[in-house]
This record gives sequence, structure tokens and C-alpha cells, in this order.
Amino acid sequence: MIIDMHVHPIYYKAICKDEKEEAFRSEAFGVFKQSPYDYDEIFVEMKYAKVDMAALLPLDVTTTEGGVIVSNEQVAKIAADYPERFIGFASVDPRRSDALEILDYAFSTLKLEGLKLNPAKQHFYPNDKMMDPIYKKCLEYNKPIIFHAGLSWEPNSITEYAHPLKFEEVAVKFPQLRICLAHFAWPFVREMVMLMIKYSNVYTDTSVLYLDSPEESMKRLFTVDMGSLWVDRALHKQIMFGSNGPRFRQFKLLRALEQIPMRETSRDNIYYRNALRFIGREEF
Amino acid sequence: MVELHTINWMSERPEQFHMITKEVHQIVEKSSIKNGMVLIVTAHTTTGIMVNEGLPCVETDIADTLDRIAPVDAEYVHAHFLPSYGATGNNSTGHIKSLICGNHCAFPVINGKIVCGGAQDIYIIEFDGPQTRKIYVEIIGE
Repeated sequence: MIIDMHVHPIYYKAICKDEKEEAFRSEAFGVFKQSPYDYDEIFVEMKYAKVDMAALLPLDVTTTEGGVIVSNEQVAKIAADYPERFIGFASVDPRRSDALEILDYAFSTLKLEGLKLNPAKQHFYPNDKMMDPIYKKCLEYNKPIIFHAGLSWEPNSITEYAHPLKFEEVAVKFPQLRICLAHFAWPFVREMVMLMIKYSNVYTDTSVLYLDSPEESMKRLFTVDMGSLWVDRALHKQIMFGSNGPRFRQFKLLRALEQIPMRETSRDNIYYRNALRFIGREEF
Repeated sequence: MVELHTINWMSERPEQFHMITKEVHQIVEKSSIKNGMVLIVTAHTTTGIMVNEGLPCVETDIADTLDRIAPVDAEYVHAHFLPSYGATGNNSTGHIKSLICGNHCAFPVINGKIVCGGAQDIYIIEFDGPQTRKIYVEIIGE
């Protein structure tokens, strides 16, 4: 089984009904020259990659950019169309006055399974006290948070907001809150590893392909930026497979991961077990 | 006169040979243009249009030869972030194989039929799938 914990459904045809909305989405997210694709095309790629399920991530940038890249309702619709294939996440702009009501609705009515936030794009520090009620709301519903971390190439995104060290206080104050700092917080891989060693509630994902081929990128990540035994020895319960589609393609990252030597238990954890634990579908 | 038709096809693998001979012949035979030529053109830069003998062994030899020319693990400069896409380019093998195959083929049309050799099948070849592909079939004549 393989679960992709990092997919942006911005070109899913089921939610591409309005040209203005599509144009905003493309500009705000910074992905161009792609066309909407239907479920058949999504599933044919997942089938080839042997990916069983994908977590879909929206983003609310209401106060910084005046809209949403993908809405909670749109993610809920896709997840409802194929509940066996998709794991729907919510998003909220933390500066919205109705942020907590939006989360209540997303978790209780839309049945979304986690929260996606992007400090770089939404312009907030994760350790800002303003965020505490949002973290408490996630704890109330036992929902995890996926944060964008490290480099963000979306327009109008500031990397300092998403530096991994800005998350340590969150891990300390909310030890029961499961948080994923996506993309290995690249290029701050050592800081990411430091957090995972210290805090068992901190996760990351494999969507690292900012330079090089998938094989070169994964080899560097798992054997140069990290010691080649670090995953087996210490980190195998905190790394999840994530592709960052549509920026990177699932099957190419998986092709590269297959070439990284690791214990089969570690590989299973990365491919799906950690994801199930992270979203609360499997006991700790 | 000019008529433009479109064939849509969804590939299922990163590389895949797909024969479109029958569809192209049918389009020409249903056309009101009886004499002229037909152009078959791909709308993409990581696919190829090929005319060749429709045998699995020929397909295998062509695929293997293209792999030797443009292996997946070569050090391509294209493997980096592309701001114009917002994605990392990692499909140089597809671009190079597309260049080798070419983006089109053409046949004469006489009395409402394509004039071609018996072994000449028409293929679109996927080099960066899976994805949906578009092939234009343009008939020019009278």
C-alpha cells in the first residue's frame, strides 16, 4: 500500500468550473502550462505509481491575497466522490476572524481529516500566540496539521516564516498535536532531523525535488544530507511519502525511493503506515 | 479546402506505443476532401509521431535504441526548477526521443483514400506519460 500525503488538486477537473477561479489558482500557486484533468487521468497515474490514496491539500489565503487556492468545500467534494482514494484536508487563513468556526465546520460537517497551513504563503510565524486557538481546535478534533516548511516557490511567499526552528515551540507546547513539516523543510534538512529526534509528534514528507533528477535528489537526501542509516535507526516512524503533485510526479519520486536502501519495515512506514498513524486511522 | 480533426488518447505508462492507423484512415475516408494530403501532427513536445511496421519486436527494438540514446539516468541540465511551469523539469528523455521521432507524418490522399505501403502503420508514442494526448489530423485538398 502507498499513500501520497502531499497533493494539490488545483487542476482536478471536478473543481475547475470557473476560468477566473482557475486563473487565480494558477497565479497564486505558481503553476502554469497545465490543463485540468479528470478522474480517469488521475487514477491512471496513481495506478501506474501504485499509489492507493492521496491526501488533498487546499489553501486559504483570504487576508493576504483575497481568495482561496482550493476551498475546503471543493476538497470535501472530491473526497466524497472517491472516499476510498482521497483523504481530504482543510485549510484556514489564521487571520480570519471566523477561523475557528471554519475549522469547526470543516472537521464536523465536511469531515475533513486534517489541516493544511503554509506559513510562508499565509505570512505568519507558527509560534505566534495567535495560532494557539487553532492548534487547540485541531487537538479538540484530534486532527493533524501539515505545514509547508522550508523553501516555497509560490509567489509572495517568505521562507523565514517556514523555517523549521519556528516550529519547535509548537512541538513543545502541543506534544499531542501531530504536525508534519513538509518537504523535509528543504534545504534545512539537518534542522528537520533535529526536530524529529527531539519530538515524536513531528513528521515530514519526501516531496523534495527542487534540483536534480528524482534519483539524484532522493540519494542526496537519504545518504548525503542525512546519514545513510538515520532512517532505519531513528526516523522511520516520522517520514511519510509525499509527492507535491502537480509540481512533482508520484511515480518518479517512488522510482527514486525504490533505489534507496532501507529496511522493509522502514519502507512500509514511509509508504503508508506513518500516514495512517498521522491522520489517526491507526492506533499509536 | 482544409479539414481539421482531433484524436484524443490517454496513455497509461511513461512510455507507450499506440497505433492510430485505423483512426486516421477512417477520418480520411469520411472526409469530403478526396484528393490532396493528410498531415498527422502531435500537440506535444514529449510524444512522437512515427510511421513504421506494426510489429511488437520492431517496437521493442526502437524503444531499446531510444533508451540507449537518451537513458533516464543521464545528467540532463533540464533537471531543475522551472519558474515558467512552477515545477521541476525531469523529462529530458521525453524531449530528446520526441525530437528523434519527430512531431508529424504526412501521406498523399487520392480518391478519398490514403496512399501508403502495406507495412506503414501510424503511431503516437508516449515518452512522458501517463497523460492525455491530442493528435491533429489535417486534410488539405479538394
